[in-house]
Amino acid sequence: MTKFTPIKKITVLAALIAATGFSGAARADKLDDIISSGTLRCAVVLDFPPMGMRDANNEPIGFDVDYCKDLAKVLGVEAEIVETPFPERIPALMSGRVDVGVASTSDTLERAKTVGFSIPYFAFEMVVTANETSGITSFESMKGHTVGAVAGTFEGIALEKQVKAWGEGEYRPYQTQADVFLALSQGQLDATVSTSTVAMASVNSGKFEGIAVVGKAPFDTDYVALFTNRNEYGLINYLNLFVNQQIRTGRYAELYKKWVGGELPSLTIPNAYR
Amino acid sequence: MFGYTFQWNQALARLPKMLDGAVVTMEVAVLSMLIGILCAILLTLLRLSGSRSLRAVAAGWVEIARNTPALFQIYMAHFGIASFGIHFSPFVSLLIGITFNNAGYLAENFRGALKAIPDTQIRASRSLGMSQTQAFRYIIVPQMLRISFLPMTNQMVWAVLMTSLGVTVGMNSDLYGVTQDLNALTFRTFELFAIAAVIFYIITKIITLGARLIAARLFRY
Amino acid sequence: MFDTALSSADLIFLAKGAGMTIVVTAISVAIGTVLGIVFGVIRVQLGTVYAAPLTFFLDIFRSVPLLIQLVLANAFMGMVLRVQFSGLTVACMVLSLYTAAYCAEIVRGGIDAVPTTTRRAARSLGMSWGQDMRHIVMPLATRVALPSWIGLALGVMKDSALVYVVQVTELLKSTQILITRLQEPMLLLLICGAFYFVISFPLARFGGYLEKRWSND
Repeated sequence: MTKFTPIKKITVLAALIAATGFSGAARADKLDDIISSGTLRCAVVLDFPPMGMRDANNEPIGFDVDYCKDLAKVLGVEAEIVETPFPERIPALMSGRVDVGVASTSDTLERAKTVGFSIPYFAFEMVVTANETSGITSFESMKGHTVGAVAGTFEGIALEKQVKAWGEGEYRPYQTQADVFLALSQGQLDATVSTSTVAMASVNSGKFEGIAVVGKAPFDTDYVALFTNRNEYGLINYLNLFVNQQIRTGRYAELYKKWVGGELPSLTIPNAYR
Repeated sequence: MFGYTFQWNQALARLPKMLDGAVVTMEVAVLSMLIGILCAILLTLLRLSGSRSLRAVAAGWVEIARNTPALFQIYMAHFGIASFGIHFSPFVSLLIGITFNNAGYLAENFRGALKAIPDTQIRASRSLGMSQTQAFRYIIVPQMLRISFLPMTNQMVWAVLMTSLGVTVGMNSDLYGVTQDLNALTFRTFELFAIAAVIFYIITKIITLGARLIAARLFRY
Repeated sequence: MFDTALSSADLIFLAKGAGMTIVVTAISVAIGTVLGIVFGVIRVQLGTVYAAPLTFFLDIFRSVPLLIQLVLANAFMGMVLRVQFSGLTVACMVLSLYTAAYCAEIVRGGIDAVPTTTRRAARSLGMSWGQDMRHIVMPLATRVALPSWIGLALGVMKDSALVYVVQVTELLKSTQILITRLQEPMLLLLICGAFYFVISFPLARFGGYLEKRWSND
């Protein structure tokens, strides 16, 4: 038996008091916190149509916005959309400004060292959009041109690697998808690689002159997942089930038809468990 | 005690890349300063010129540079100018933006310095047979630079700090851009930006100490 | 050129952003000035050696890009300390210290500008340190410091454009949101720039006027 001196006893007592004092925050996990706070704060990228954008009253709309609202509904809380540019998604989560990211975030292994991902809730195909004066007609013909994408995104990182592999041309990362298409229509960029959804939405918006989708980019399918803090297993489990339920109930197909249209991408990977 | 596990080695492994970024940051800052000083001298001359329109151009430059955010100026240098079909690379856009800002602030400093130089000196140099240009070149400018040496040092520090705004125009080779890219790859936000902060701090210290040494050597009399 | 899709709702949206810019600036300049005066006086009273830790601390805010200060403060409070602050709170905290760091320099410069002989005279007339500070140093130092302080306050307003990184939608961020939707970068940026200019220019002129007027006597 360890002999307790009075001082040690006091220390232990103090530690116990401290522990109980903090237990309100520590023992309840994030899932509990969200339910008891009555608000689910989602990080959503709002310059990424049709996943996240703003309507004429500058209110957030889009696939991700609806997805967050669905999640809030099943949790029985209010949804709060927190706009985060692509590079600020994770800092926003890490600083406790948001609870969950519904922000079209690719589930890379490197990132999973820092945040916890759910199973994929959406999958993107990558396409090449070019300025018509550039003469670019395919992914391969981008070689030697000035190309760009959004900083820190799946396609941005892949494109930068490709430009380095080609050994000629230039890669420019911009902070927002809007800046990329602005630069593209101004002719500052010759081409960009982006998700097919945002490319179609931007080209069809008619706001960018002289740009067109010219072909597919041979990148892997970009599976995107919901994310939250890595150690919040309770919440991550809940998110997994939620994504599963969205597909099961046909809500995923419904939202896809509403915002994107066309063939529904499969979210399962052939010959794998998850 | 903290709810967060620091992974410093993950971030420190990227230090060489960040130091490469620091070199680019210094390049932009030094170039923007050198060109900025030349522009500022030109602006100072224009503000003294007899032509009303030239004075207006100079005043417009100085006032816009001093009264709008640097971020706005850099954004305009890239996307604004491009509306007229003129395209610059992110490096050049950032350089133009910071130079524009530097020149505006420095011109104002130079104007202040100019007032501190007695008119009699110009008259004295003219009566020694110097032309107007010579008087300006050999008498006024050296003193002007000397009087505004401290503000120039401050502006140099500012220029270094302003390079962090380059990410808004597609720059990713400078220190902030490199850090942001690494953050996107690893999401080690705190560690990476803390290291970037230390590097920035060291750079600015080197500049202020270096300036003090230069000042001590140049202005001994 | 003025064929625009900009609606009155969008102008209100921009005005809200401008309001946020002013709120952030006002809070930060107010707190930062008070802190700056305290820090500045402490630095003068303690002398170079004893004030070194404070000088070092304040120097950090002047040597690291504001963007990084904001990102770090945000990450530190949320990730490490696990305190829940709104983006506005973090923005104001960082900008206040940022203001204080510059303001302390201005205050120190102001106090140093008061001739030592004047202060000795005051003390030998039987004034206490407090009286000397209030009746001699403050009026004289203010004349030196006020124009710089106006410049600082305007600088903080312009630098507040960076608080978008902690999810505060101020003027420049609102402008970017509208650019995203309307795709009229030039018009919107000019409106945004004009707003800063309209506030900053007259005040900067006023500062210059004070400087000129007070430097003559």
